[in-house]
Amino acid sequence: MKKYGRSFLAFLALLLISSFIFLPQKSMGAGTGRISDVQLLARAINGEARGEPYEGQVAVGAVILNRVKSPNFPNSIAGVIYQPGAFTAVSDGQINVPIDPNSTVVKAAQDALNGWDPTYGCLYYWNPATATSKWIWSRKIVVKIGKHNFGK
Amino acid sequence: MGENRVIENDGKVCQDKETYYRTINWNKAKNVIIAILLLTTIFGAYQYDRANKLKNHLNNTYNRAFYELVDYVSNVEIMLLKTMMTSSPELTVTTLRELSQEAYNAASNLSQLPVSVGALSNTEKFLSQVADMSQSIARQTVRGVPMSDEQYNTLASLHKFSLELEKSLNELKNDLSNGNFSWDNVAKEGEEDFSQTSEEMPKTFSSIDQSFSEMPTLIYDGPFSEHMQNRNALGLTGQQVSENQAIESLGKFLGKDKINNVTKLSDNKNGIIDTYNFKIELAGKKEHSVVEADVSMKGGHVIWYLYNRPVGDTTIDIDKAKAIGLKFLEDRGYKNMKDTYYLETNGIATINYAYTKDGITYYPDLIKVKVALDNGEVVGFEAKGYFMNHTERNLAAPKISQQEARAKVIRGESIKASGLALIPTDYGTEILCYEFIGKLEEKDFLVYINAETGAEEEVLLILNTDDGVLTM
Repeated sequence: MKKYGRSFLAFLALLLISSFIFLPQKSMGAGTGRISDVQLLARAINGEARGEPYEGQVAVGAVILNRVKSPNFPNSIAGVIYQPGAFTAVSDGQINVPIDPNSTVVKAAQDALNGWDPTYGCLYYWNPATATSKWIWSRKIVVKIGKHNFGK
Repeated sequence: MGENRVIENDGKVCQDKETYYRTINWNKAKNVIIAILLLTTIFGAYQYDRANKLKNHLNNTYNRAFYELVDYVSNVEIMLLKTMMTSSPELTVTTLRELSQEAYNAASNLSQLPVSVGALSNTEKFLSQVADMSQSIARQTVRGVPMSDEQYNTLASLHKFSLELEKSLNELKNDLSNGNFSWDNVAKEGEEDFSQTSEEMPKTFSSIDQSFSEMPTLIYDGPFSEHMQNRNALGLTGQQVSENQAIESLGKFLGKDKINNVTKLSDNKNGIIDTYNFKIELAGKKEHSVVEADVSMKGGHVIWYLYNRPVGDTTIDIDKAKAIGLKFLEDRGYKNMKDTYYLETNGIATINYAYTKDGITYYPDLIKVKVALDNGEVVGFEAKGYFMNHTERNLAAPKISQQEARAKVIRGESIKASGLALIPTDYGTEILCYEFIGKLEEKDFLVYINAETGAEEEVLLILNTDDGVLTM
């Protein structure tokens, strides 16, 4: 009986550990307060244009804001960012990770909100090296900033 | 170690022990394998169940968005017809507002469907414009101007489109409820090239969207009106300049002694203000010394620049910063500018300046200057508003006095006047108004009374008052 007892104990322990690992995790990250537009925009920029020049980061923020103003897209920042399939940073969950308020992407988001728009009203951008959609190439390229093409 | 010693001392016991240990080892291994198998099965079953639940949850969310969309679109169709039949202004306004609400809801639900961005772009535009335009006609009706024949005809044509959309959506709805397609497949289709029709789907979203490409161009008093998309830069003066001339004017603007190296990154042919895009390395700085800037091809004006650098402790107060910004603008030929608003974040003040002349503040002619509050350096400039709108205007003299205008403001005692202002509407026109500023529930607000008609044109509430301050 003793030998079964031991392995039974081991089994129980494993079950316990595994339940901790695999059970749905509750309340990840900061859940306090309202997320401001700046923070939401900064998270999107962080996911989409982290390694880009500063201007390129502002440009991605500007595209999101241009979509808010366009009849072809939802009418709020959250609506545009969370539109299914619109941004990879949303699909892979990066959008829900808080960003340090002193980081560069927050400054870029702030500048975009304050009206800096290096794209002059563009609604789309894509990385020509990785873009999979053939359709996106039907857009007219307005400007290239860093790795991204911006179009209307 | 203990086991080995037992074996040395007594062979017989040893043999028994060996068998004994072998059995125990085998049992142990068996138990572990069974445990692992059990765990994997439990884990697998649990994960499968969870994934299935999540999938169902997601499908239900999409189904809800879609079924609601069908209802909203059906309401849009009915309300469009209704607006064409109502005659009393009261009922017309109510119906138009309801129509607008239904169309907005439809647009909002449409954007929640897992269809790739762009696939339903024309459909979204149709709904947004119906919502926007009915608001515009409602405003007009309130002012006592009845619907024109042209507007009636536009509504009639929009109704035809809404009928078509309703029909297509109902076909999809049938397929969805018959289980002919699920949102998983639509989402997958969207990831690839959605112009290819999937065999699984009898009528794709792209073909629905296609029917809207022949939508008439809608011009009306609203932000989504077509004329807002193609505006000219009224304030952009001068001849076409070469790249070298653009670099020259960039040198004048930033100070030649401060520039180490200029690289042209690209030509920005946006059709609104075509520009050369430059990267400038600053002289005498160690790190983060890159300025990015746009110089217009017409006239060689600096349209904007940004200099992102770490900002140290604040040593400059906002009044000093405003004076620095004003001097910066004056030195570069922008006279008669007045600061109207500023926002302070991360040690940087972003100050708005508007053009003023003869006591009138021209809000459309807007320039923003970023001043770093550690040493007063100007780290950003943005003048698109100025270049889009600044022009010699022939404004009619106000027909009503400031006193008359003030009498129209509710709770006038808490309010102070700040004179005449030209304000932009969200559909591209400008109105001369008396501007009044006040505070309500700790929030700054602005009231604009039309200087010609006395109508209350706009009430603006300034949000984020913890960061941003009105400076009039």
